[in-house]
Amino acid sequence: MTNPILIAGGGPAGLAASHALSCLGFKSILVEKEDRLGGAPILSGYAKLVPSGEWARDAIGGMVERAMNDPLIDVRLNTTVTSFSGESGRFSAGLSDGSGADTGAAILCTGFTHFDPVNKPEWGFGTFEDVVTTTQVEQMISSGQGVRCPSDQRKPKRVAILLCVGSRDRQIGREWCSKICCTVSANIAMEIREELPDCHVYIYYMDIRTFGLYETKYYWKSQEEFKIKYIKARIAEVTSDGERLIVKGEDTLVKRPITIPFDMVVHAIGMDPNTDNRSISSVFGVTLEPNGYVDQLSVYGTVGATSRPGVFVAGSAKGPETIDDSIAQGHAAAVAALAAANPAAETA
Amino acid sequence: MPIHEQSLIRPENLTTHEEKIIDGIDVSGHWSTFIESRVVTDYNEQMEDEIAALPGGEFIHRCWQCGSCTNSCTVNAVNPEFNPRFWIYLIRMGIESELIRDKDIIWQCVSCNKCTYACPRDVYPEGVMKATSHWLELKGHTPQSPSAIFDEVCTDQIVDTGKIEDGRTLRRFMQKTGQSLLQDWIVAMIKQLVSHLPVSLLAKMGLSTLIAPRTSGWSGARRALKRYIEEQQTEQQMAVNPVVAGEEKH
Ligand SMILES: Cc1cc2nc3c(=O)[nH]c(=O)nc-3n(C[C@H](O)[C@H](O)[C@H](O)COP(=O)(O)OP(=O)(O)OC[C@H]3O[C@@H](n4cnc5c(N)ncnc54)[C@H](O)[C@@H]3O)c2cc1C
Ligand code: SF4
Ligand code: SF4
Ligand code: SF4
Repeated sequence: MTNPILIAGGGPAGLAASHALSCLGFKSILVEKEDRLGGAPILSGYAKLVPSGEWARDAIGGMVERAMNDPLIDVRLNTTVTSFSGESGRFSAGLSDGSGADTGAAILCTGFTHFDPVNKPEWGFGTFEDVVTTTQVEQMISSGQGVRCPSDQRKPKRVAILLCVGSRDRQIGREWCSKICCTVSANIAMEIREELPDCHVYIYYMDIRTFGLYETKYYWKSQEEFKIKYIKARIAEVTSDGERLIVKGEDTLVKRPITIPFDMVVHAIGMDPNTDNRSISSVFGVTLEPNGYVDQLSVYGTVGATSRPGVFVAGSAKGPETIDDSIAQGHAAAVAALAAANPAAETA
Repeated sequence: MPIHEQSLIRPENLTTHEEKIIDGIDVSGHWSTFIESRVVTDYNEQMEDEIAALPGGEFIHRCWQCGSCTNSCTVNAVNPEFNPRFWIYLIRMGIESELIRDKDIIWQCVSCNKCTYACPRDVYPEGVMKATSHWLELKGHTPQSPSAIFDEVCTDQIVDTGKIEDGRTLRRFMQKTGQSLLQDWIVAMIKQLVSHLPVSLLAKMGLSTLIAPRTSGWSGARRALKRYIEEQQTEQQMAVNPVVAGEEKH
């Protein structure tokens, strides 16, 4: 019997990897830094997920429960990996709780960090209370509180969603597209209109990237059924006239400057590399790619291989990713890790 | 002209002052020409709703500004100022003053529906052009268009008699649009008719011009049609100008 597989990070990718292993009858150790499993959708309190429409607490909550009740998954909360030595098939890991573990292979499912929009001060986050992030709106919806202006709890009559906040911006060293925020924003816009039919929602975009089947289900539907308006403009500045927020920019289609009053401005924040990636890189001895995500050795060979044999990566640890793709990659990495941990399987 | 080729500075947005001093600085004369601000300071959400409430405008909110309608448009090929894509945008953002600048060309749509077949989002731009012309009329920005007058002349006859009589249509249309019946082309047409049509047919035409025959048992249909038209008109008035139309109703 092989040693258990070490999985760092208990978000969708890590939950999927541990579940895949236990389905095949193998043990895993699931090491999670926070006091709960579930990753971003649970820790940040997302509302209804793209594309299933299921509440995050049901969909991802179900995965968490499954892992917590699985005897083959050894869940370690409030824990990180502090050392990792040896080689593929025979690693030994030191954990922050002082314990150690022998492991055949490791899968990094350590995810991403939400972009902090105070790093784009011109868009008013941190200065004006009614400038919020997509995660905050997700929380307003999932908590049942409803969408309200934080300053005085009024129902907004007009909301602006600014896309690509913390993405596609060389000024702040973030050139990647965070992949999911266009779709998530269209989804949030529809949820706002559903709750507050009198509230008009405007989305300011540079490009709309509701890829694949999300096109009709989110972009088209948000226009056709919910009358969301999309305006091609990258906003220059968010200020206030003392009563409402003022969104300034150029409406590129009519080539005219705009200064439009809004009740609420939502930043569609992007997915930064996990702020732990430097230490993860040194503990696990894996390289990072230029943006700071965990480097993938090969795209078409062994799925999820990193620069160190026996260490694999899945989900948003290796770049912006959706939940469903993170789950698929977790499964794929589980199989690759199993093969690495069990040389018999490799030769067979 | 595509919007991107239009000059951003329009003559009517330039002002000069014979004598003006601002903060102690003399800004008189053409050396100190002022350009009025082009800043859009608010959206008027009602405008889209109003036009969407008129027949043909229903799907305007689907538009994603691809320009396929303008590229395929028959009238645009002749007059580059005729730009359905641009107008749809102005309506959606409620930039009314800009739309009204083009009020005298919007109605020139020839309803060929090339745009309808080109539009990837089923906006039915032809319908939007119709709804927009209609809106401009209802709002009093434009007089009734000749095609609307023609439609009305036909509709009135149908409602009245259940039939359209060509001679009457022509006479009423020319009268309502302030044109003389002694147009060269009408005279030529009548001459041709007289010399080529069999006498029996001419007699029939002459008779129906004089007595305007009705479809038998039409009165029930007439009542229903009238009621329906009135309902529609009130509904459209309400959509465009809820306060006034509501008061009229009471
Ligand atoms: C506002 C917003 C809304 C979104 N909505 C959707 C949606 O509706 N549908 C969709 O498909 N995607 C959505 N996403 C994307 C989604 O959040 C990610 O695809 C998903 O969370 C990735 O899962 P993951 O397991 O790779 O990473 P994460 O969810 O980030 O999980 C990583 C886990 O690892 C833990 N961890 C981190 N560092 C360490 C460490 N050093 N040691 C141990 N543990 C560690 C973290 O605490 C966390 O539990 C959204 C993203 C944003 C920003
Ligand atoms: S998914 Fe959309 S909002 Fe997000 S970074 Fe890409 S283009 Fe911008
Ligand atoms: S229907 Fe009108 S707008 Fe459409 S292509 Fe023809 S002329 Fe142009
Ligand atoms: S073709 Fe359709 S979607 Fe494209 S600009 Fe015209 S109306 Fe809009």
